[in-house]
Amino acid sequence: MRAINFMKIDYMLTKQQMRIVLPLFVIVALLAGKTMGDVWMLFLCSYLLFMGTIFSTTPFGFCQKKNTGFLLMLPATVAERVIGRFLFGLSYIGMAVLFCAAVMGVFFLFGNEVNMTVVGLMLCNTALGLFIVALEYVICYLFGEGKGNWQYLGNLVRIAPGMAMFFLSMHVVGKIGEETYAADRMAFLSQQIFSMGLIALGAAFLVIVLSILICVKVIERRDYA
Amino acid sequence: MELLEVKNLSKHYKTFDLKDISFSLPKGFIMGYVGPNGSGKTTTLNLITGILKSNDGEVYIDGHTCKEDVRAYREQIGYVGDESYFPDNFTAKNIRTALKDFYATFSEEKFNSFLRKWNLPEKKQVKDFSRGMKVMLMFASVLSRETKLLVLDEATNGLDPVMRTEILKLLQEYVMDGQRSVIFSTHILSDLEQIADYIYFIDAGRTILHDAKDEMIENFLLVKGESGAVPPALKRELIGMEENAYGFEAILPSEKAELLGNAFLVEKPTIDNIVIHFIRNRENGN
Amino acid sequence: MKIIISNQSELPIYAQIREQLKEQILNGRIPEGTTLPSIRQLAKEVGVSVITTTRAYSELETEGFIATMQGKGSVVLPTDNNLLREQYLLRIEEGLSTAIETAKAMGMSMEELDAIFKNLRDA
Repeated sequence: MRAINFMKIDYMLTKQQMRIVLPLFVIVALLAGKTMGDVWMLFLCSYLLFMGTIFSTTPFGFCQKKNTGFLLMLPATVAERVIGRFLFGLSYIGMAVLFCAAVMGVFFLFGNEVNMTVVGLMLCNTALGLFIVALEYVICYLFGEGKGNWQYLGNLVRIAPGMAMFFLSMHVVGKIGEETYAADRMAFLSQQIFSMGLIALGAAFLVIVLSILICVKVIERRDYA
Repeated sequence: MELLEVKNLSKHYKTFDLKDISFSLPKGFIMGYVGPNGSGKTTTLNLITGILKSNDGEVYIDGHTCKEDVRAYREQIGYVGDESYFPDNFTAKNIRTALKDFYATFSEEKFNSFLRKWNLPEKKQVKDFSRGMKVMLMFASVLSRETKLLVLDEATNGLDPVMRTEILKLLQEYVMDGQRSVIFSTHILSDLEQIADYIYFIDAGRTILHDAKDEMIENFLLVKGESGAVPPALKRELIGMEENAYGFEAILPSEKAELLGNAFLVEKPTIDNIVIHFIRNRENGN
Repeated sequence: MKIIISNQSELPIYAQIREQLKEQILNGRIPEGTTLPSIRQLAKEVGVSVITTTRAYSELETEGFIATMQGKGSVVLPTDNNLLREQYLLRIEEGLSTAIETAKAMGMSMEELDAIFKNLRDA
């Protein structure tokens, strides 16, 4: 339960960001819902996830030694605090996924057929997002929090992986968009991509658990933890 | 009954060592932890709250260590630092939410009444608070729950005399029931000196003196006089002799008073006098 | 009951409290049977440490001015007049010996001192 309270604290820390993120998500979702086709939808949904990963690391920026005494001294274990932070990150990915689902739902309601390939690709994208959060958080905890060098490292860690993910999915989107892309390979992809996505998601959650364990072990030994 | 027990506490840093700090503070008493800047006061207090991990030694509050049960340990500590330890963009409202979520004994009513009493706004961000308001907000957050030990790290630095007096009263009220204790650090004692029952004095990470305050004051004399008139036997015993063109000032252990004769002015020292001359003594190379 | 602490005084704070209470008990401003404030109450009111007031009370107790009973606090005991007289005598002696020492320090003869004393007395 304390972990959830820590997530709440992270939301209070980043309350200004919420004012930007929510409208942005709504606008992108509206754009996607109105769209004209699978490729555009995939593009915009990837964009949502990309933003999710970027915004999920903001609380680390607020955790300079000077201002965190209050948080560090709250009666709770390190594990609870770390899990709380991960929950915050996951909730951002979750938010992005929710908006994507809403977009697809609306798309479906308007009588369009939902392309399972797109759904499958979105699953893969979500898994990728989770991987990135896990990786970013480990880096932030190992080198960032309480170590003072956050400012230099922070922006890089926050932007780079999300960027990479975005351009990677754009590359895939581009491939699918190419008419030269072999029809049989397309067919194979649509059959397999959904189950691949599910496997990737499962693996991503395992990685999240693993990185939580690593962070807890490292932080427990550290001063100012 | 001891509330706080510190046993052989040590912490190593590259450029600084805190070594072998030991004391105990009984229930219902106030201890002043004094020493110059950089002497290890904050390090010690952070070891007590469990924010830092010691290389050696243990801290017990009411018989329990932080490692046994972090939650229970921290529930009973109230910490106020020398600068705001709240996230900059938090408001008093945010702080109240967090306190309510985490501390079993937090009283929203008490917290609100402190906010009203000290005119602290609910919706303003902490970073826009004045220094005094930040300190009072820290006190409000700490005094609105049931704690056993207050740990104050230079908490009254830079406060105006009115607020300092108010805090003094608060601390004395806190220990009134004889069950709770206070440890505060400061580099200059002045007005806090009066209410302290015990004094622990460190310099460069080492214990210099540790005693009940009244005893410590009685154990030393503040001696002033003409430098030329000091016989060698006396000079050996004087601690931290500070000379100027017209005379000297030093402290002397009271049991050596017979060395003085009539040639010097002898006064009752303050804790500050004692601290300053012991530091001077180190600087003089003794 | 009144207690005023001076930081300039050479007398330690516990002794200042002790002396002021003693004086008020002796001259009847604090009548016998009065319950004094608790050690912690007094410490808070006067703004001094608990150990300081504890010492003041325990010395008053040893000197027979107050008695501390568990749960009832410290009560002022009846002062016998001999004790009162003794206390005042002591203070007179103290005052006079200070005068004599001061006179010696400046090299004044005892006859001169006597003259001053006489003058003051008859004034």
